[in-house]
Amino acid sequence: MVFFENVIHILYFVMAGLVGFSMCKSLFRRKKNKGFVFDAMYAYCLIPFLLRVLYIK
Amino acid sequence: MSTTMLTLILLIIMIAAFVLSSIKLKSPDISMAVAAVVLAIAGTIAVPELGNPVRYLVEGLFVNLDLALLFIAASIFVNIYAHSGAIAAITRGVVEKINNKWILMSIMGVLMLIPGALTGAGSVAIFVLGGLVNTVLEYLGISQKKRTVFICFFAMLSAACPPINLWTMLMTAQANMPYVGFTWLLLIPIVIAGAFTIVFVGWGAKPQNKEETLAKFPPKDPKLKWWRIVLPFVAIVGLFLLALYDPWGLPVLGLPLMFLIAGLVALLCNPKKTTFKEYLGILDDTMEQVFPLVANVLSIGVLQSAMAATGVRGLIGSTAVGLPLVLIYVLIIIVGPICQGCFNYGVSIVLGGPLIFMFNTLGMDVTVICAALSLIFPLGDTLPPSRIVGRLACETTEYKESYLSFFKTLVLPMLFLGAMGVAMMVLHSKLAFLY
Repeated sequence: MVFFENVIHILYFVMAGLVGFSMCKSLFRRKKNKGFVFDAMYAYCLIPFLLRVLYIK
Repeated sequence: MSTTMLTLILLIIMIAAFVLSSIKLKSPDISMAVAAVVLAIAGTIAVPELGNPVRYLVEGLFVNLDLALLFIAASIFVNIYAHSGAIAAITRGVVEKINNKWILMSIMGVLMLIPGALTGAGSVAIFVLGGLVNTVLEYLGISQKKRTVFICFFAMLSAACPPINLWTMLMTAQANMPYVGFTWLLLIPIVIAGAFTIVFVGWGAKPQNKEETLAKFPPKDPKLKWWRIVLPFVAIVGLFLLALYDPWGLPVLGLPLMFLIAGLVALLCNPKKTTFKEYLGILDDTMEQVFPLVANVLSIGVLQSAMAATGVRGLIGSTAVGLPLVLIYVLIIIVGPICQGCFNYGVSIVLGGPLIFMFNTLGMDVTVICAALSLIFPLGDTLPPSRIVGRLACETTEYKESYLSFFKTLVLPMLFLGAMGVAMMVLHSKLAFLY
């Protein structure tokens, strides 16, 4: 059980990484929600995923 | 200057920043983040002991991170499932077999209650079933506005529906009460409010021609067998039930991972030949589709964190508790949902917990009071700044008119449920037989 819990823990880091990557991509190239306000939103929403992947928080 | 006055000034600064930013930037999500930044900076200037404001802002981004992941994972599951054609096939089957409008609406209502009842989140009900319910209601000839009201209201009810009611759970945990005896106290008002909403939404609607409606659906895919349609749903509901009734026999998966597993099952059950690139396209579209909601919950977290650090959150809670009893009865139907709009589930801690202690001191039946509050708080899921469920419902039905016009129609069912909650609070001793 402990092993599975550890695997799940790692999976959540992977998930955060993938979402962060996708958001980073959308920050520079996206189909809708264009404009400065959404640029700023994408940038600050990226922060928690980035910090999670970097094991900072 | 007294601490209360200082906190009140901070509250006014926060509201001013939010309003100005909303006017200028026209986005409630970034306005919440701006209000939080202004509040954190003003708080640190007023009370230098608070330290670096950046800390509160970054910590706030993590408050609702799990919720953001849940939204993303649930959307991925639903979009992969919809891509396989399963949702269209289910809708076609339902429209073909059931002819009675009221039975069809009741089935849709009950179905919508299940995902939220098992997960505690109304948004999940919309993600999983919103599209299907919208199509069926459209066939019944219900206007777009009323369809949005139906989906939104049943999503709110599903969040309050037992066995998992997060507001009750948080309040009972805070008050050292057992989470026992709430099933009928919550379920009976939900069934009554649901029946009221079905009549309110369905009254006067005339079903469209069945043949014409069926012609609008994509043609049946012969490869899409019943097991391909059912398996993804079985996977997600099975995981919910396992986590609920056998928590020690299963590692803690968490809702986002459960939805990803179900998404994987949906992918394996997909009869269409879909390339890896097409799946990547679905993922990219999902991210863009769900991003405003992700930004919304992350911004709320930042605002919550700044409000907690500066004492604004405590000021709101302590002011509400200090009111006379009659005023609490009158105002709870307004203040409760507004606080829910600001703090989400945090309302149970800010307002619910102190109120439970206060009612307990007055010798009132806190189990009934707790259930009543848990019916009132979810109403705030349609109120700004967050309005998560309201927004999701509008997105699901592609409702393009102003949010206010939709909200005006929603007010009647909301008032009905709110009034039932207040009646439960007033008649608490007479309802004790329900647990």
